[in-house]
Amino acid sequence: MKLERSDRGPLIAFMLPAITVMVVFFVIPVLYVVVVSFLKWNGISAPTFRALKNFALLFKDKAFARSVLNNVIWALVAGFIQVPLAMVMAIILSRKPKGWKFFRTVYFFPQVISGIALATLWRAIYRADTGLLNGLLTAVGRGDLAKDWLGTVSSAFPAVLIYWVFYVGYYMVIMMADITTIDTSYYEAATIDGASDFQQAIYITIPLIKKTSLLTCVTLASVMGLRQFEQVYMLTNGGPANTTSTIVLYMYKKMQDANYGMASASAVILIIVGVIFIVCIRKLFEGRSEQAQMIRKARRGVK
Amino acid sequence: MSETRLRARPHGWDLLLAVVRWILIIFFAVYTLFPLLWLIVSSLKTNFEFLAGSPFALPAVPQWQNYKNALTVAGLGRMLMNSVIVGLSATAVNVIIASMGAYCISRFRFNGRERIFTLFTAGILVPLNALMVPYFVIINKLGLYNTYGGMILLYCAIGIPMSTFLIRGLMDSIPMELEEAAYIDGCGFFGRFFHIILPLSRTGIVTAATFEFLTCWNEFVFANLIVSSEKLRTIQVGIRYFTNQFSTDYVSMYAAIVISIIPSILGYVLFQEQIIAGMTSGAVKG
Repeated sequence: MKLERSDRGPLIAFMLPAITVMVVFFVIPVLYVVVVSFLKWNGISAPTFRALKNFALLFKDKAFARSVLNNVIWALVAGFIQVPLAMVMAIILSRKPKGWKFFRTVYFFPQVISGIALATLWRAIYRADTGLLNGLLTAVGRGDLAKDWLGTVSSAFPAVLIYWVFYVGYYMVIMMADITTIDTSYYEAATIDGASDFQQAIYITIPLIKKTSLLTCVTLASVMGLRQFEQVYMLTNGGPANTTSTIVLYMYKKMQDANYGMASASAVILIIVGVIFIVCIRKLFEGRSEQAQMIRKARRGVK
Repeated sequence: MSETRLRARPHGWDLLLAVVRWILIIFFAVYTLFPLLWLIVSSLKTNFEFLAGSPFALPAVPQWQNYKNALTVAGLGRMLMNSVIVGLSATAVNVIIASMGAYCISRFRFNGRERIFTLFTAGILVPLNALMVPYFVIINKLGLYNTYGGMILLYCAIGIPMSTFLIRGLMDSIPMELEEAAYIDGCGFFGRFFHIILPLSRTGIVTAATFEFLTCWNEFVFANLIVSSEKLRTIQVGIRYFTNQFSTDYVSMYAAIVISIIPSILGYVLFQEQIIAGMTSGAVKG
């Protein structure tokens, strides 16, 4: 609809609250962390400019390096293990096997439960004495593997990371919706040509969702991996020996120490790493799938 | 798949695939449900049963008073109330602001419209946790530290990009002709919004509201950051303190977690279709 002169006033009035929120809670805060990352500031006394010293201190700190590494691992595992698992389940459930609605509902549960509740639950599972995991290992006769999962340096980070990987519901639901928009005539034609379900998934479904929901999910999952805080805060608080720390947890601790400069500097690093991830994932998914584009075009033609 | 879809001719490994398929389906279901059931069973044990018995044993007598303890002794009732107050208020303000913004972006062509929309979509991807320092400062500067108002404002604000995105998605699907007809009949800016667009975008608004409420209900980081008073603690912050304060009373702690999860699951099951429809409409277009 064209904008009438008489609509201009109301339009501005309608747009204003949302724009104000975006400026005050998104634009300014991002600029703010960038500015504060160059300062030495404890939140009370006057801040002093210290150029890049915060960043220099960060790069010297082994705990920070470990946090960045953990986040990168987390983002990669989320994007390239968790999402492919979700894709497999999306392909399976979109064939509507018996009870698919029930399974879709169940898989989505972890998405609506708070991170704090889930982390507390998993802390109980990983407990050294009465934990469910050690109980299961003992029950199958491998009690020798039982240990204090979160308290041992070698197992703490894998334990914190792994339980999340099998919660695929969110990404699965997004990809399922995309798969159901695919024209069934492709599958019918493929079936007549004798293609198995497996071949149909590889040659029809995956290429067709690759640039849409698959790309979206890999991006979302990686960003989630970079944001991690509640999980580690509740499960280990970064320990043992900082092996499970993440950038946000590191930032939070610096904030608790009233070191706002370094907290902001780590936030800046987090944002930069996030942008790098988003750009790289886009690049990775671009090109190569010309076949899918052709099918997409053909599909539009049919409609 | 449509009902009429032809079945594939039997292939050598079709049977194997079918077996693998069901193993996967059941694995993921058990992986999600079993820990939750275990949590519920554990929450009905005595501390002695939990600490000394097998993790798989059922409680001799279900200890319902664990739930009573969580609600009364630990003050979970108050925290649930706080979460409801903050969640409902933030959601109401959030969807009002988002619907107004979405109406402008979806129905009008004006300068800077694309740029504004990009700002909203970028907002969805910003790692909000990285903005703890500025949020803490802003809420303090506004004099809203340790108030309901502070939480409501912050929760409402961080959900704006998502809500606008979801509601705009639905508004985009409303045919222009409908609005144009009303326009010719002399219906103004507000008339078209209230009488045509708003009623027709009901499902988008419900989706956004459900999403926003769930976000508020489950939010921990900022509630922990901008509130210190025990009286204002939301359920998530409460659970966090519960784990410190009552670190020896495991079973009541698990009861508290079960209580905090129930509304999320109920809400999800009730609004499942809206949540899934809205979430995917936005995400698939990506």
